[in-house]
Amino acid sequence: MANLTPARTLDIKQILAYQRNRYPVLFLDKVLELVPCVRATGVKCYTYNEWFFPGHFDDEPNVPGFVQIESLVQTFILTFLCQEEYVGMKTNFVSMNNVKFKRKIVPGDVLRIDAELKSFKRGIAMGCAESSVDGEPACSAEFVVAVPAILDQYKPKP
Amino acid sequence: MQKGNPMTNREKYAAAFQTTLMVEEAKLSNLKYQDVSTWDSVGHMALIAALEATFGIELHIDDIIDFSSYAAGQAILAKYSIRMED
Repeated sequence: MANLTPARTLDIKQILAYQRNRYPVLFLDKVLELVPCVRATGVKCYTYNEWFFPGHFDDEPNVPGFVQIESLVQTFILTFLCQEEYVGMKTNFVSMNNVKFKRKIVPGDVLRIDAELKSFKRGIAMGCAESSVDGEPACSAEFVVAVPAILDQYKPKP
Repeated sequence: MQKGNPMTNREKYAAAFQTTLMVEEAKLSNLKYQDVSTWDSVGHMALIAALEATFGIELHIDDIIDFSSYAAGQAILAKYSIRMED
């Protein structure tokens, strides 16, 4: 069983324990640094064995935009899901703003993701993340993410 | 609201609903939780956050749960000394 104690780094077993994304939609391999409720730095290594490369595209494989966004947000949610009371909770997008794609990501690229949690209150998390390959900016976005299990605790009763 | 005059508490309260839930002023008085698609669990948190920011208060969890309508909210805010003008 994975150790759920907050740590400075996370391996794949700990990532699987903290959050609910699984193959084929888990786009994070490890976390290099995690400061609970503040920030996280993750890494995703893309190889041609990824399921989407043959279809996107057969003559020019590159990482689809939605996958890049998922890499960002999956790193982002770990900033609060690493807290004992939230471990393993599912999350939903509420909104995304200022999404920018600046570099094509291709097989062999190692994506670094830096995510920052700006606020987390009553199941609503706000923050941002940006990714890079070899120091070159790749993708960035601002997020609002909800944790439905927490929101349910505050819903008016019928 | 007259030009140059500060907003009353009632105007601020209505504005929070209109801005957050995108509901017309005419429909506010009878509005209840989930009457409109925007007042779901996420919209509820956004509304509470907007009201807390507007009035400089922090609502207790029991009051957030009891905040089930436009009318009920006015009574709840009164507990925080936020009174709606006649």
